[in-house]
Order: sequence, then structure tokens, then C-alpha cells
Amino acid sequence: MNARVEAELPFYFGPERTLFGLFHASGTPARKAVLLCAPLGQDQIRCHRLYRQLAQALVTEGIAVLRFDYYGTGDSAGDSAEVDWERCMADTAIAADELRKRACVDRVLAFGARLGGSMALASVAQARFAGVVAWDPVLDGQAYVAQLDAMQSALCADGQRFMVPRKPADVAAQWLGFAISASLRQQLADLHIERPSTPTLLIDSLSPDTPRHVNGFEVDAAMIKSLQQLTPWDDPRRLEVAVLSHSLIQAVTHHMREAA
Amino acid sequence: MQEQAFRFGRARHLVGIAGLPPSTTPDVVGVIVLNAGLVHRIGPFRLHVEMTRRLNALGYPTLRFDLSTIGDSASSGESQTRKKQICADVADAMYLLGEQAACKRFVLIGLCSGSQSAHMVACTDANVAGAVFLDGYAYRTLGYRVRYYVPRLLNGRRWLRVFTRRRKAHQGGSSEPAFTVAPLPQEVVRADFAGMIDRGIKLCLIYSGGISQYFNHARQFRECFGRVITHPDVSTSFLKEADHTYILTGDRNRLLDNIERWLSHNFSVMSGTSS
Repeated sequence: MNARVEAELPFYFGPERTLFGLFHASGTPARKAVLLCAPLGQDQIRCHRLYRQLAQALVTEGIAVLRFDYYGTGDSAGDSAEVDWERCMADTAIAADELRKRACVDRVLAFGARLGGSMALASVAQARFAGVVAWDPVLDGQAYVAQLDAMQSALCADGQRFMVPRKPADVAAQWLGFAISASLRQQLADLHIERPSTPTLLIDSLSPDTPRHVNGFEVDAAMIKSLQQLTPWDDPRRLEVAVLSHSLIQAVTHHMREAA
Repeated sequence: MQEQAFRFGRARHLVGIAGLPPSTTPDVVGVIVLNAGLVHRIGPFRLHVEMTRRLNALGYPTLRFDLSTIGDSASSGESQTRKKQICADVADAMYLLGEQAACKRFVLIGLCSGSQSAHMVACTDANVAGAVFLDGYAYRTLGYRVRYYVPRLLNGRRWLRVFTRRRKAHQGGSSEPAFTVAPLPQEVVRADFAGMIDRGIKLCLIYSGGISQYFNHARQFRECFGRVITHPDVSTSFLKEADHTYILTGDRNRLLDNIERWLSHNFSVMSGTSS
């Protein structure tokens, strides 16, 4: 049996064991650990395989990794409509402590894609991250909400998906397959990420015509790495296509290895 | 009810989540949910999580898990066909759920390729008591073609749209590779169904409007599979409004209502036996 497989342990943790996690132990005593913060909604499903590949790449560098699901997402307890931004941040801090305990290290860095990147950045103080890598993080909540609303509305007339057009009521209170609460919508619309006090790398793979909204975030060019391969996050035709990126895994692994 | 995470299987290569109701009657069936395509065990839009939790609330023990090399599961390291590997993985899943919930017979649920996996196992495994095929095998019949083409031939405006769509498709054609599994021949599936029914397996076929490129009416169940589909142990539903992966919460609830009703009718938790 593959020792690497045995070192990947699925378990529940946190208050009342409501959070699902998968711990990737490093073969040797870990010098540092990385918490992988998942995006929300369909992006989480699309990124699942990439997160697993990234975790396995980091383990080969002697870095312990924890992947986990926020309350109301993935295999964690709770309904999709119960996802709450503040609770996700609290879950992130709990997961970071769980990782510290399991990996026997205090130094935890974070990686996240899209809203997972925003989550990692927003949780720096609460989760005591020593560094963050954020891949195409959502920095303008209002624009993001508008984009999801537009994609959700367009579902009504999606002839590729439905045999018969759907009524607006059929698609209400959901974003691309997931029920959402009014409070989550408001929390995301109000999302404002401060420039973190910890070393941060932004990985950019948005298409050139996508507004970056990085200016308000006040980062310098040295903090940004652009990938040649663009990621079609908002392409409705690829809504159910996995997001895979070898160059992203290489960039993150390299950065985490070098992170002091 | 608390779910439990497991690493299990003959090579401890599989990952799954068991939902174990606090008390189960002896002989209650366990429900095992198989991967839909390459989506990990939570299912498209978390369908499998919602499904297993609703069934747990009714008293059914459940397991949603990743087959070898999908989701969080690894390869078993064995050299064998995909068919043998799927049968062995599901046997491992049945062993785990049997161990945890003391169930001896199982209902398999699968969407799309998951339905093909469930079909494969139901053909040979004596522990399978029932199967729910979501958008499983289907074939374009004469009836399908009549229902598909006649309205289009009679609609002039459609001709323009068809032409425009073709041109667009030609211009912006996707170069993405398509990974599909060749379907079994219609006669084989028909014979498989007959064999399953002979062995006392109860079948539930629920097809959606999302596969309208080859299935477009409830009547098509009979057109595809013949008289076997009218057997009392076979239930069929066509959810015309829904898409293939149940992206809308209302459609998901209607699907889950259907599955709950079928399970309760055929595998009562109270009696613990099939009715």
C-alpha cells in the first residue's frame, strides 16, 4: 500500500466535530505547514482536484498540509444556505490551529483561490498566518456579487442546460447551484480586504479585460506573479469543468518552499 | 446524526463519508452513492451530501465515497480493468457500511457515469437489493426522433436559429478533449435489466431534461427497454424541467423527494425488508 496515501487522513474536527478536513502529513518532521482555504460555491468543486495535487506537491517539499471545508460546504456539517462569511473566517482560524497541532509546527501559511484567497487574506490576524498566497482573489465584493447574479439570471434561458426555459423564481436565492442567504450576499457585497500585514503573493491568471481592483488593495508589483495560462473562472460554458493548472502548482510550491 | 470520515478499502485507498443514523433496524438497506463523472463524493452542487443527509434522517445508513483515482481516493495499485476495479471498490464500500451499520443488502445510486457504475455492479453483485439510475443508459428511438424533428421541421424561425448556432459552433468550436464512455448496446442493457429483476433487484430510473440530446419523453423508457420497464419492480420518472446535474435547488428537492418515496415504498426502514 502506498505510504503517501496512508499519510492522507480524512477526519472531522472543530466544535462538535462539524468541520471536514484532510490532513496531508509530511514524511519528515515538518518545518512549516500550509492551510489550503477553499473557494466557495462551484469554484470549490472545480478546484478540488487542483487542491489535492497542490497538497501532494507541497508534501514532497516536507510541508504538511490541511485541506478543509467551511461549515455548510463540502463534507462539513450544515446546509449550503447556512454559509456565513464570518463563520468561514472562524472556521479558518480553527483549521489553522488544527494544522498546528497535527503538524507540530507553529508556522502556518495559507493558500486560497478566488474567495478562498480572499478568506486567507481576511483571516491573517485571526488565524495567525505567517504568509499568504492568493490566486485571483476576489477583492471587489460588489462586482463579484453582480457577476454571480448575472450568471444566475442567465441560467433561466440556458437552452444548452434546460429543455424548457425556467422562471426567475426558479433561480432565485441561489448562485450557480448553491442556495445562498441574504446575509451572505450582503457580506460579500461589503467585502473589503485590507492589505495584510504578512508577506503576501498574489497570483494573477484573470483575462486581460477583467478589472483587477488591485489598486485599492495597495500592493506593489513585486507581490504579483502573473501566470501565462488564464483561468476562465466566470465562463458559464465551463461551469462544471475542473480548474487545473500545473503552472499554479509550480508557482505556489516554489513560493512556499522559499518562504522564510 | 454525525457523519464519519473513513479511509478504507482493500488497499486503504478509498475515502468516504458514512452517515450512520443513531438507531437502525436489523436488515435495513444501506445506501451507497457513487461518483458522478469526475466530481468528488459531494456530488454536483453538493447533491450527494443533501441526498445522504435526507436519507439518514429517514433512518437509512449511507456512504458517499470516491472510487479509485477520483476525488480523494488513490489507485489500489492493482492491474485490472476499470469494470473490475469499480466492482471491487463498491464491494469494499459495502463491506465498510455493513461493518458500521450492520446492513447486509444495499441500494446503489448513481448519476450519469455513476449510473453506469451502479449498473455494472448490480449485474453481478448478490448484495445489491436496488439501484437508482439517474440519467443512465438511454437510446435515441424512433419516437425520440419524431418528437425531436417534427416540431422543428414545422417551425420556420428555428431554421434560422439552427443555421446561426451551427455557424457559431463552427467558429468558436471547443478544442477541449471529450472524455466519454461508450454506452452498452441497447439489447445488452435490456437483458441486464431483465436479469436484475429476475434476481429480485428493484430498479428506479429517473431521467432529466438535461439529456434531451438523446432522451425527451417519459414514453422513451418503454421505447428503449421494452416490456421489462413495465415490471412492478421497476419505477421510472422523467423530470423534464430539470437539467442533467440538478443545478437548481427546487429541482434537487424534487429529485430527492422522488428517491425518498421510492426507497420508502420499496425498502421500508420500519420493516427493514423490501416490500
